[in-house]
Amino acid sequence: VTPEDFPRRSPVYRRLVDAGATFVERYGAAAASTFPGDRSPPPPVGLADLSPLRRLGFKGRGAFAWLNAQGLAVPEANNRTARTGGILVLRLGDNEALVLDAVDTPDPRIESVMAAAAPAKVYPVPRADTHAWFLVTGPAAPELFATLCGVDLRPHRFDDGAIAQTSIARLPSVVAHDDRGGKPAYHVLADWASAHYLWDCLTEAMATFDGRLLGLADLAVAK
Amino acid sequence: VTGFRLDPPFGRLIDRARPVTFRFEGRQRSGFAGDTIASALIADGQWLMARSFKYHRPRGPVTMTGYDANALVQVGNEPNVPADTHTIEDGPDVWPQNVAGSLDADRLRHLGLLSKFLPVGFYYRTFFRPRSAWRFWEPIIRRGGGLGRIDPTAPAEHGRYDKAYRFCDVAVIGGGPAGLSAALAAADAGAEVVLVERDPILGGSLNVRRFDAAGEEGTRKAAALIAAVTAHPAIHTMTATTCTGWFADHMLTLVQGDRYVKLRARRTIVATGAIGRSAVFRNNDLPGIVHGAAAQRLIRLWGVRPGSQAVVATCNGDGHGVALGLMDAGVTVAAVVELGLEVPPDPRRDAVRDGGMPVLRANGIVEARAAGNRIGGVVFDAGRPLAFDCDLLCLELGSTPAASLVASGGGTVAYSEAEHAMAVRALPDGMRVAGAVAGACDLETALAEGRVAGEGTAPPDGARNGPANHPWPLFPHPKGKEFVDLDEDLTVADIRNTVAEGFASIELAKRFSTVGMGPSQGRLSALNAVALAAQAAEAPLEGACAWTNRPPVSPEKLGLLAGRAFQPLRRTPMHHRHLEAGAMMMVAGAWLRPAYYGADGDTSIREEATAVRSGVGLIDVSTLGGIDIRGPDAAAFLNRLYTFAYAKQPVGRARYVLLLDETGYIVDDGVACRLADDHFYVTTTTGNSDSVYRAMLRWNAQWRLDVDIANVTAGFGGVNIAGPASRRVLARVTDLDLDAEAFPYLGVRQGTVAGIPCRVFRVGFVGELGYEVHMPASAGEALWDALLTAGAEDGIRPFGVEAQRLLRLEKGHIIIGQDTDGLTTPEEAQMAWAVARKKPFFVGGRSLDTHDRRGLERRLVGFALTDATPPHPAEGHLTLNGDTIMGHVTSVALSAAAGRVIGLAYVAPDLGEPGGRFIIKGPEGRRIEAEVVPLPFYDPDGARQEM
Repeated sequence: VTPEDFPRRSPVYRRLVDAGATFVERYGAAAASTFPGDRSPPPPVGLADLSPLRRLGFKGRGAFAWLNAQGLAVPEANNRTARTGGILVLRLGDNEALVLDAVDTPDPRIESVMAAAAPAKVYPVPRADTHAWFLVTGPAAPELFATLCGVDLRPHRFDDGAIAQTSIARLPSVVAHDDRGGKPAYHVLADWASAHYLWDCLTEAMATFDGRLLGLADLAVAK
Repeated sequence: VTGFRLDPPFGRLIDRARPVTFRFEGRQRSGFAGDTIASALIADGQWLMARSFKYHRPRGPVTMTGYDANALVQVGNEPNVPADTHTIEDGPDVWPQNVAGSLDADRLRHLGLLSKFLPVGFYYRTFFRPRSAWRFWEPIIRRGGGLGRIDPTAPAEHGRYDKAYRFCDVAVIGGGPAGLSAALAAADAGAEVVLVERDPILGGSLNVRRFDAAGEEGTRKAAALIAAVTAHPAIHTMTATTCTGWFADHMLTLVQGDRYVKLRARRTIVATGAIGRSAVFRNNDLPGIVHGAAAQRLIRLWGVRPGSQAVVATCNGDGHGVALGLMDAGVTVAAVVELGLEVPPDPRRDAVRDGGMPVLRANGIVEARAAGNRIGGVVFDAGRPLAFDCDLLCLELGSTPAASLVASGGGTVAYSEAEHAMAVRALPDGMRVAGAVAGACDLETALAEGRVAGEGTAPPDGARNGPANHPWPLFPHPKGKEFVDLDEDLTVADIRNTVAEGFASIELAKRFSTVGMGPSQGRLSALNAVALAAQAAEAPLEGACAWTNRPPVSPEKLGLLAGRAFQPLRRTPMHHRHLEAGAMMMVAGAWLRPAYYGADGDTSIREEATAVRSGVGLIDVSTLGGIDIRGPDAAAFLNRLYTFAYAKQPVGRARYVLLLDETGYIVDDGVACRLADDHFYVTTTTGNSDSVYRAMLRWNAQWRLDVDIANVTAGFGGVNIAGPASRRVLARVTDLDLDAEAFPYLGVRQGTVAGIPCRVFRVGFVGELGYEVHMPASAGEALWDALLTAGAEDGIRPFGVEAQRLLRLEKGHIIIGQDTDGLTTPEEAQMAWAVARKKPFFVGGRSLDTHDRRGLERRLVGFALTDATPPHPAEGHLTLNGDTIMGHVTSVALSAAAGRVIGLAYVAPDLGEPGGRFIIKGPEGRRIEAEVVPLPFYDPDGARQEM
């Protein structure tokens, strides 16, 4: 499987290919599964490209009620996440949410959400294309962010489930704290067109923390 | 390694198992990992490390803490590296700075003999007359600038500098006894603490100062405190880190190696200790004359015996502690000379006597004598000359608070007659001081002050019991050369002459004499300069302040300030396909776009344009902004925002949009595609997607229309497939009916192209049959590939921004920002057709009435040159009516389609009708005649784009 086998491609697929990634098919696109080299133990900080995975945004005054009606929990407060099964709902504002599919095992609920016709006052936003999706994991992740971001993302100040709408390396980004198996993990969603830039900033900063690229299979093992 | 290296336990910072070699002035030297350049050189018997700024006098380190300018060296291509704090590594070439010839025998070393002719401020009065003289003097003066050199032609040796943010409740600056104690107390009280220490290890003075005769108290206390701090989970320790500034709301800047850290705290405790007081006497600058702390640091931290025979000049028990330390290190102490004051009883003094070291009294220091390039002896005034041979003179005459952070942060530091020292008088809000920075104190006081500062409780009252400060360690000599400021080679006479010249205020004295303006920024000179200036001006010393302190309190490299270059740049989904096709990329707003494909721009642009006019071309337009406007009030929203009318715009049709600001000037344009009754997809120009989106949000915050506004610019890639063959090519890969009637000009459809769901519009920016295809960004590359494949048999060719600019000019379409400036009205730009003046409201509409009343001042017109002979005018060239400037050329090109040089330009309104002639002031002032012609230049009936 190679990324160019599919019309849909991650904005950073060339970087993954250059790093020697092995790919698997996910939802009509190629996602990095693993990279060459010793994959154990999990690195102090890991970076994974989840851009091929499913996600979509909803805006509008009816958005939260509609998501609830689809069986998805919406957080009570802005800048918090809520999990339903494997699906994570990020509440970004009074009338805006972002729905992320499960990283490990696809959750069929997202298909029904994607297929359902949005009623009045609910406006889907194509977040799978406006925003690249990266996952930064590992105990050194907060320290890595401290070199790129002016918000304190350490777990005791930015708890599991917290969201920061901030800038990373001067690029507007959404950071959601979503621990994996009790270990620090952060979703980063940022401008699709600048994804290569952010990827390069993250990988360059990661080098000083002995970081490594991770694929979906690596993530499953690390968890 | 020589006989100056001491055995353990001396040398806490060095790793004797890891020898390191480097070159100094071309000669190989050695040391150990953990050594600084200076400690390794001194271990090799070399105290001479630099030549002074003005007189090229021999100099060496004075403090061993990076405070002075006499140990700045060049390391590789990096100038001004403090030898006393820079850790050596294998390999680098280290050179002394400001040396003419060799360090030992500097050719300019006798310049000091001319000092009478080089009085303070002489250069302010010498080199500017006659005016042409400066051209002669400037290179000479710059060469003698005194600091290191950079080689601008050398390949860039960029280190990796980065920045980081840190957060805590309490920032403690200084890891000595007070700082350690403060950090522990604050952390015990529940605070998250960051403890910042300049040295590579915690402990500060505990590691080097001798608090008791046996020399055990400091070590013992350090071990206990450091163990507790290290074990405390709420304390994050940053060693080898310098705090360079304190700013509002407790933002502190820290330099940690090649990382610049911005620390955000809720409280700050400054526990930076004190700096030894320098004495001013003849030849006080000779290498080997050091603060007592420097000798102790050399011995304890780097295991270096600083000399063979030493004299200690002191006025307190700490000086005796220095003498004991020297004795332990095997240095012969010729004498401990107590200057001026009666030293109170002190066990350390008793131990000195018990050790057989002579303790003598003197009134002052007469002079130091040189032996080669190092101190060879010192003469005291004890009623009679009291002379000693020595290769090391340690001064322990009290201290001054290391309060730069306090002063530069907005606190007050002023002279205290009672303390004979500078003292912290006022603090910035939320800052506390503890330990020696708050005034000389004994160890118990420092620990207690640290504790209460950490707890946030009131400081203790009572005696501080600190070592005494010498009241006036300034000993002028009839022959001069008693240096007040070693950075700038300023003597007692220089400071006195400065005051005599009328610069009595210390701020003016600094500017005239340059005292304190050297690399050490007056850390060692300020106190003595302030005292001397006050004395010369017969002004009171009590309450006198030094010059204004500003951050950074110690130098920050430019690389640190620059950090990593964070410059986001957007790429379209087809970016790599452009590179593979040999595109010359250009920056457009925040994006990279292909300007043209190929090496030869003119040829490529011409061929690309021809391909579009005669066959089919493909351009990446992903950079256009894309905004979805959805909801029951979508059409009403567009009606209010844009100049045209949208209420009756049919679904499936595109309509031009023109956006004005409130003052009626053009700010953006694009097309609005009605995808559904309640859904418009609006495009913006490349550079304006964010600003238009923000304007939309701002306006609707007032209007409260029932719409949702979503900026989906990055979510959609876009291409424009244009040219007579475009329909044929697109038809091969789409399920849409492209028949002219089924999908007419300005039609909007949604369907698949190459199996990818797309939004397709028939628009005609370049004036040919064409389709703009917007696809999900993730599929942009695949769609680009599919269209190129589908068009191969028709010779499809990608075209870039430059060809597009030519093609649209031929069609008479303006580019916002190129053909308009910030003050262009629709009327001026001949775009009144795009303004529905009968609408009750649209942004900027009311201002258009005002513009109407004022009348037109200029018009944007199409022109053609009456004579196409080169040179041709360029964009920006002025348009003239006679000799009166009317405006300028905004676009110009040689058009193959029009068969002449065409362009757009602003001219006077009365010249704006076809046939009007005007002058363009072309290259080198050449006057080029142009004629106003009707727009468009190409296909005026629009037959080609509407076919």
